[in-house]
Amino acid sequence: MKNNSLVFPKKLYFFMLPALALFVVFWVVPIFQLFYYSVTDFNGVNYDYNFVGFDNFKILFSEGTLVNSIKNTLIYALLVVVGTNILGLAVAMALNTKLRGKTFFRTCSFMPALFSAIVVGFIWSYVYMPGSGMISSIIDLFGGDGSNVNLIGGFNTALIAIIIVDIWKGFGTTMIIYLAGLQTVDESLIEAGRIDGCSTWKLFTKVKLPLISSTITINIILNVIAGLKAFDYSFIMTNGGPGKATNTLMYTIYKIAFKDQMMGKASALSVVSFIVIIAITIFMLRLLNKKEVEM
Amino acid sequence: MKKNKKEKVYKEVESYSKFTWKTLLLYIVLAAFCVIIIAPLVIVLSSSFRDPSNMTSPLKLFSQFTFESYAQAFSRMKYPKELLNSIITTAGSVAVVVFISSMAAYPISRVISKWSKAFYYFFIAGLVIPAQMVIVPIAQNFGRFGIPNSRFTPMIMFITCSLPFSVFLYAGFMKSVPKEIEEAAFLDGAGVIRRYFSVVFPLLKPATVSVIITQGMWIWNDYFFPMVFVSKSDQYSLPVGMLQFLGDSQNPAQWNVLFASCVLSAIPLIIVFAVMQKQFINGIAAGAVKG
Repeated sequence: MKNNSLVFPKKLYFFMLPALALFVVFWVVPIFQLFYYSVTDFNGVNYDYNFVGFDNFKILFSEGTLVNSIKNTLIYALLVVVGTNILGLAVAMALNTKLRGKTFFRTCSFMPALFSAIVVGFIWSYVYMPGSGMISSIIDLFGGDGSNVNLIGGFNTALIAIIIVDIWKGFGTTMIIYLAGLQTVDESLIEAGRIDGCSTWKLFTKVKLPLISSTITINIILNVIAGLKAFDYSFIMTNGGPGKATNTLMYTIYKIAFKDQMMGKASALSVVSFIVIIAITIFMLRLLNKKEVEM
Repeated sequence: MKKNKKEKVYKEVESYSKFTWKTLLLYIVLAAFCVIIIAPLVIVLSSSFRDPSNMTSPLKLFSQFTFESYAQAFSRMKYPKELLNSIITTAGSVAVVVFISSMAAYPISRVISKWSKAFYYFFIAGLVIPAQMVIVPIAQNFGRFGIPNSRFTPMIMFITCSLPFSVFLYAGFMKSVPKEIEEAAFLDGAGVIRRYFSVVFPLLKPATVSVIITQGMWIWNDYFFPMVFVSKSDQYSLPVGMLQFLGDSQNPAQWNVLFASCVLSAIPLIIVFAVMQKQFINGIAAGAVKG
């Protein structure tokens, strides 16, 4: 492709300079530095560090940190994507009818998205608190014994508990995007489907869903990206615990870097995370692009 | 047969505005759902109006009405200072983001070359990188460049992290802005810079609103970058100021003050949302649908 346009000459690229400079210096270069630090025993303060080869990676693997945090992150991302999208789409479908009080329901669903993650973490720490928290109190109210219910402290339930928090905060945004997508659907196509004798379920799966496939794609991509970045609630609510049950990749990196002061090891885990994230993103884009074309 | 179906369709469309068992059921389900979603927020609000020592069951809603807890939270948070810091950093960052990301998107969507595509994907790829992953080398580089910790330091990262999504949004939107207008401006003798700022940029207003809303929201609520790059407590913004309550969230005796501080920290954005609800909804939707 050769650009000979008088109106849009190549010197327009100068417009990109400020953004490009910031982006390269503070976002792209640090990624390369991670690769470098990952083979050192750098502690973040003292600059005479040694090269230790792949020792950091070996330690991460033999400790079980690597497998555990990748597993937690993948479960987290998967459940957040599924939960947020199903809930968001369901509410959007319900609100895409001729309903009175639509704005009120929409505002209720979107409200949690306005809060900072740290405030959300505090609020849900109270909700989950055994004994006097909201869930325990409600169980007590109905005559049960709420003091034993400890979702956030249970080894098997803690991850699910923080996933629920993330879905609670995030589904409103997803719902608004779905609502916008549904409003672009041409009513006459739905009408045509009805006249041809489609059941409500078929109308939904064979007409409506394909028509909003690009909206579904963007919502899934945005949620996968957000899910793989899971950090907030492990940091605010659980400290990665109980045990290692809520150690996500990002929280583990943060903990190794700032609490254990082992930058080399943290960088090694960052390199692994980078590879995992890139692999999942590429896989997902391919899969979704294929699906969209098929429809 | 076909005629029957048609009549049924007609009835169904009509019935939405009337009160049938179907709409009633929908109302009940939606109302119940909203109660579940809003319940924690209502309890937090009601407890925040109690005095700090009143720890009787928080489920008894609005049983007391005093600003005692708010007064304590207000002074512990240094609220006016934190609010001001939040406003300065958010407004400053968003202004710069709008300015430089729209400029970056301009050649990407106008110059026909494989470089434009390459730059586009280069920027978007930044979207998948989590801040926690790269924070160590970034903090190191800040030290190397001699950038001191201050209330303004996180802004550099706010701006950088906002670039991928904003460039993506502007580039997507710019495709729908007709090139003919610019060609006319070119023939009238306007230079590139003049053409961009007085012809193109004003036409991007919907995308600008979307960038302001989506990026403004995360920057306002972010506590991670200020936590790393701000060391003096009177330079904290609202979210990072909340970190001092971290220990209290495990201690039921401190809840009323904690809840009051939660409300105080959330209320500015809620007010802005209430005033500009339409822009929020459209901005978020446009952000995802346009691109």
